Parts: sequence; C-alpha cells; structure tokens
Amino acid sequence: MALFEISGLSFRYPKSEAYALKDVDIVIGQGDFVTLVGPTGSGKSTLLRLLKPEMQFNGEIGGKIRFDGKPLHTLDARESAARISFVAQSPEEQIVTDKVWHELAFTAENLGMKQSEIARRVAETAAYFGIAPWYRQATAQLSGGQKQLLNLASVMVGEPDVLILDEPTAQLDPITAARFIDTLYKLNRETGVTVVISEHRAEELIPLCDRMIVLDKGCVVYDDAPRDIADRLDKSSPYLPYLPQAARMFIESGKAGRCPLSVREGRRIFGGTQTNESKTARRSEDDRTAALEIMDVFFRYEKDAPDVLSGLSATVYAGEIFAVLGANGCGKSTAAAVIAGLKKPYSGKVKLFGRALKEYKNGSLYKENVSLLPQDAESVFLRASVKEELEGCEEVLAKLPFDLSPLFSRHPYDISGGERQLVALCRALKSKPRLLILDEPSKGLDPVSKRRLAELLIQLKNSGVTVLMVSHDVEFAAVCADRCALFFDGAIAACEETDGFMNGNRYYTTAAVRILRGRHEGAVVG
Amino acid sequence: MRRFHDSNPAAVALYYLCVTGVTMFSVNPVIISISLLASVLNYCLYAEGGVKPHVFSAVLLIVLTAVNPLVNHNGMTVLFYLNDRPITAEACIYGLVTAGTVVASLYWIRLFTKAMTSDRLLYLFGRLSPKLSLILSMSIRYVELLRGRWRRIRDTQRALGLYDDGNPIDALKGSARVLSILITWAIENGIITAESMEARGYGTGRRMSFRMFRFRSSDAILVIVFIALTALGVIGIGAAKIVYYPAIGMDLTEPVSIAGYGGFAVLSILPVIINTKEAVRWRYLRSAV
Repeated sequence: MALFEISGLSFRYPKSEAYALKDVDIVIGQGDFVTLVGPTGSGKSTLLRLLKPEMQFNGEIGGKIRFDGKPLHTLDARESAARISFVAQSPEEQIVTDKVWHELAFTAENLGMKQSEIARRVAETAAYFGIAPWYRQATAQLSGGQKQLLNLASVMVGEPDVLILDEPTAQLDPITAARFIDTLYKLNRETGVTVVISEHRAEELIPLCDRMIVLDKGCVVYDDAPRDIADRLDKSSPYLPYLPQAARMFIESGKAGRCPLSVREGRRIFGGTQTNESKTARRSEDDRTAALEIMDVFFRYEKDAPDVLSGLSATVYAGEIFAVLGANGCGKSTAAAVIAGLKKPYSGKVKLFGRALKEYKNGSLYKENVSLLPQDAESVFLRASVKEELEGCEEVLAKLPFDLSPLFSRHPYDISGGERQLVALCRALKSKPRLLILDEPSKGLDPVSKRRLAELLIQLKNSGVTVLMVSHDVEFAAVCADRCALFFDGAIAACEETDGFMNGNRYYTTAAVRILRGRHEGAVVG
Repeated sequence: MRRFHDSNPAAVALYYLCVTGVTMFSVNPVIISISLLASVLNYCLYAEGGVKPHVFSAVLLIVLTAVNPLVNHNGMTVLFYLNDRPITAEACIYGLVTAGTVVASLYWIRLFTKAMTSDRLLYLFGRLSPKLSLILSMSIRYVELLRGRWRRIRDTQRALGLYDDGNPIDALKGSARVLSILITWAIENGIITAESMEARGYGTGRRMSFRMFRFRSSDAILVIVFIALTALGVIGIGAAKIVYYPAIGMDLTEPVSIAGYGGFAVLSILPVIINTKEAVRWRYLRSAV
C-alpha cells in the first residue's frame, strides 16, 4: 500500500528563479526504508520537509503529494502531528523541555491524550529505546547520542506511520551513529514504521535500506534498491561517494558480479587482494622539531568531578597534521581547549614551540601562534555577511584552492554547514597561527565539502602550519592526517603514523581496512 | 520506601506552607522555640549544606535580637542606658522572639526550596495551567543552554585572538561581542525548537499535562493530618495570652495552649517521624526477606 504518492512535484523558494525541486515522482510504500542521498543543495531537505506539513518551507509548490490516499494538505493538524514524525539534524535544539520524561511526554501532551494513555506510551517507549536508566535526568546532561535517541523516541510516542529524518546522525560519532541507524532499522522491522531518511553517512545505512533515491539539482537521478543502483554506476560516476566503501572498491576494481554493500560482503570478495601501498614514508622521530608538547596533563571540571584528562601526553611535530580520534563525549574537545590554553590543567604542562603556554603574555598566544576552531562554527560569526566576516583575510582567501566569493553577500547562518566550516576556518587563519587546532572539522559535511576541507588542510601543512585536529571522523583523518592517536579514558591509548594506526585498529578504522584487514598491510582508503 | 519528601508535591508544599505560616504569624515563645529547634533538626537531617548556613543563622539571630532594643525603647525594666536611651529587658526578649521567627522561617523556606525540585514545582504549576508549566520547563532548560553557550562562544572568541581580558575596556567589548553572537544564536536556534514543537503537534488543540506524581490515599491522609495539627496549633496560640510591653505578661499554660504546642511540635517533626517509621519498617521488611 502506498503511503506517499508524489507526482510531478516541484518547488521554488520565494524570489528565486531556479527550482529547488523539479518533476519529482516518488511512491513510498507502507513500511519502506528509503534513503535519500545527494550533494548539498540537491533538494534533499526541501523534499523531506514537503512531506511534513508543519515543516514546509515558504515557496511555490507544484504537483501533488498524497498521503494515505488523500492530498497531504487536507490532513488535519493533529493527525499530521501524530502520523508523520520529523527528526532534524541538531540533537540539542530539537529538545524542548528540561527533563527526559517531560520530553517523552511532550507529543502526547500536545495531542491532548488522557493521563493514563500518556503514562502507558511514555513507559513503553522509554523501555523500548533503553531510556529508563536516564528517564529522570535533565536533558542538558545527556550526550549527543542520547539526545538524538530521545528526539527519536519522543516522536515515536505519537505512534506515527512514517518517520522522516533529515541527516539525523550528522553530529554523532561513527559508533553512536551506527547504533542510531541500527535502532531505526529495528524500529522499521519490528513496528513496520515507514522510514524516509537523508544522510551523508552511506557506510552503515545503505546496506540496511530497501531503497535509495539519488537527488541532484532537484531531480531524481536514481530511485531503486541500493544494489541495483550500484550495479549501474561506473568508475567515473559523481555519485560514487554516496555508496559504501565495499561498493566503491568493487566498482573501481571493475570486477563482474553482484556489487557488495556491507563490510562483510566486501571481505568475501576482496580477501587477499593488494591495493595501494603505504603512502607516507616513515621519518625518524629525532630529526623533527616539536611544535607542541603535552606532558602528563590532568584536568577536571570541578573539584569532586572525575578527571576528564588523566595523564594526557603527546608530542605534535612542526608541519604535520595530527589527528586525535575518539568517541563523542570522551573528552577530546576538553583536550583541545586545554591545549589551546582556554582551560587550565590542575597538573602537567603544555609547551608550545618550546615555551610554556603561560609565557605567552598579553594575548600573544592567540596572535600568530595558536588558533582554535570549535565544533560549532556559529560561535565564530559576528557580522551580517560573509564578506564582512572575512574582512582582513584577503591573504588567506587568495591562497585557497577554491573560491568563496559567491558566498560573500550571504548571512553566515544561511550558508550550508560545509561552507560555514570553510568560512570559519578562513576566519581562524586571519591571525596567521603557527598551530591550528580544529575541533571536529568534518562534522556534518557532505563528501564533497570534506574533500575540499582536506585539500585546504594539506595545503596549510605544506605552507608550514602545524594542524592538530580532534575528530570522530576516521575516514577524514585517514585522508589527511600524518599521524593519528586514539583518545580514550582521558589519555592517548595509541599513537602511530596514519597507515599503521588504521591497520592496527579493528573498530576504530576505515571501512577499507575493515574489508581488507588481515590480508595485507597498507590499505587506508580505497 | 516512601519517604516524606516522596509524597505528592502538593502535600509537601502544603506542609511547608503550614509550618512556615504558623511560625511567621506567631509571637509565642514556645511555638517559636519548637519551630526553630524542629527546623534545624529537619535541616540537618534532610538538607546537607555543611556548617555555613548554621553560622549564617546564628549571626542573623544575634544581629536581629540586638536591633530591636536599640530602636525600640518601650518596656519597664531598664537594663542600662546607651547614648541616654534606655535598653529594656522587654525589648530584648521581644527581639529574641522575632529573631527566632525570622531564622526559623528561613530554615523552613530553605527546606522547601530543597524539597521542591523543578519536576515538583512543574507538577504544582501544571495543575494550575499546562501552558505555564511548559513555559517554566522550557525556561529552566534555556537558562542552562544559554549559560553553556555563553562559555563556548567566549572561548572561541578568545582562541581566535578577538577577546583580550588584559584590559577592562577590551574585556567589556569582548563581552558585548559574545552577547551579540549569543542573541543571534538563540534566535536562530529558537526557530529549530519552535519547528520541533510544531512538528510534534504543539498548538493543535487542548494540551494535557503529564503528571509524574500521583495523589495517593496516603497523601490525602497526610493533608488531613497537616490541616488538623495546624488548626490545633492555631487554636493553642489563640488561647495563650501574651503581652510584651510595657511589661511581659504571659499565660502560656492554658490546657488548650499546651495541646496546641503538642500539635505543632508533632507537625514540625512530622518528616522525621514518617521517615523513621519508614526506615524501621524497611529494616523489618528486609530482615523478613
């Protein structure tokens, strides 16, 4: 039975000539698990929002959307709230109330359900999603992954027919994200709820979904089972990055047969094959100068709180890109703030270019020495346009491998996440830092923006800037880092050249390594 | 184990209203003494706060006691003269009683705020208006959110070399900048929250308020007990005759008054009684298992 019937759908933003969506025909059946992929600005969000009446953007809508046999716009407000659920990208801002239980009850409260009915649904949902242990906590105390799970659970209380998710895992680390996607899959199988999701993270999602829709420039390019689409793509296809690693390796190798999607399927095919060789020559550690020395640093937020950093030690050499990897909420960001001198450790020392941090007087630390770019680029922006924001950065802009000038007239909040990250990075480079510290630089970026960011970082490295990034994005670190470290339990658990690091890890490594693991050395990215 | 403070928030609120009310409107030294002792006992048992609050209370008690005789020179028993003004025993005693009233009331109010966590307050307001309770809940969340956000923006701006706390004018400029970003951010993200509310059916019709606390029969019994003991206390206070000026004249030992003191004493240590009873029962139950 068809739940959504979309025919000839088009959409145009006010005061815009171009169509954000053109002639979209899609039928989504009851119980389908549909993934929407495509580059930034391809109309994914626009399309998803058109499916949820309360979330539609202002603009000119053409064509028809029918929901459960009736035109979508005739749906009653309460029915729409209960039957069509929407989960957006940011875990934090979607939460409305201060307590977990209240957030869970929110939908049911709005729909005016009876006290006993709310109690039943809240209890059931909390139990199903494993929320019971933190049921009475304040929402502010939850981790990013818990927050997003709460957002999902709280819309499920309404017992919807369809769940629409717009890049729900963009801000989560890969392990938490995979868990979130598993929960979605389980929901889909066990309750039959229809799932329509847009996502950059192909790796975990594509092997699970029934259908994949590729959107580009507002048009549907492919709409089929992921394996069938993969079979049709060739090496030069621009949509290759939206497929999982196993499929990409398969297509690039030109092998015949069914295309693998998951790591497991990939291992069956690529067992024993040799791919690219180790890309960085090993340099001896002695002939390099240290840009940053971190010696036995201990840090905690409050006197009685547990240590966030406990004996953190590391050396970052001048002119390298050093990546610190770890899960969400493990203290990586705190480490970055301590290294940048924003937070004071209670024990241990941080030396920058041979001098202790406190020897940098009168703010000289943040002028021509260190720049820290935080996760949320919004906290960087002050002005009403990108142009004003980048005033005085002409030198930086001239050297960029891409052009930011088309964005100049826009408000920094109105550009896409990837563009925002690049603008913020240019802003951070204005003070000509010798050490650039980046906190989750690739968070929420589509594959194209990620590639641009990696190019920029490598260019910076070549011009002599030392880059330290803390990230949960293993694939991104594999592309640009020289050395990687695994952050766990307040300290660095392992630190090696990128190739050795990725090959040594079993879970915290790229999909390519997981596919080829145990067969040979030297695979980092396919 | 259902401790006193796990009772329905409405019952707990009523309890504190009763004890504080009786304390505040009474000048009966016996009632005030009971109230002060009981509130300190409750505070020590159920609100950990170290010695600090007690030191503060002791200082307040002394200062408030001293203030009355200094400004009020009524009374017949002159103790001594200060700047040619009489300091009377009556004013001293009256000062002590009122100081006791204030300090005991403060203890009760502190206990009340400790007992009324945000959930409980919301429950109370939710009964009055589901909208008000939602607004309160959102405000609590937003204060926390904005505070954290403020810190993050300040750190970012500092790390980009834009915020120099070396001199006060720069620091002020820096704070203004942080505030401006914070406001933009709050508006921008407020939209996401608003969308999330709308998507989940906010404003589609009558709202319910989910109650985490049930009003059980034991709560009803508690409420009846509170009211009865308070009434007894009030009648007892009414029966006692107390005059402070010009000379102290008290008749505190009317049988009705004594019953009233008893009633109020039971009321003011009721949390201790209930919790002890529960603890004993718990131990008994456990040993039975």
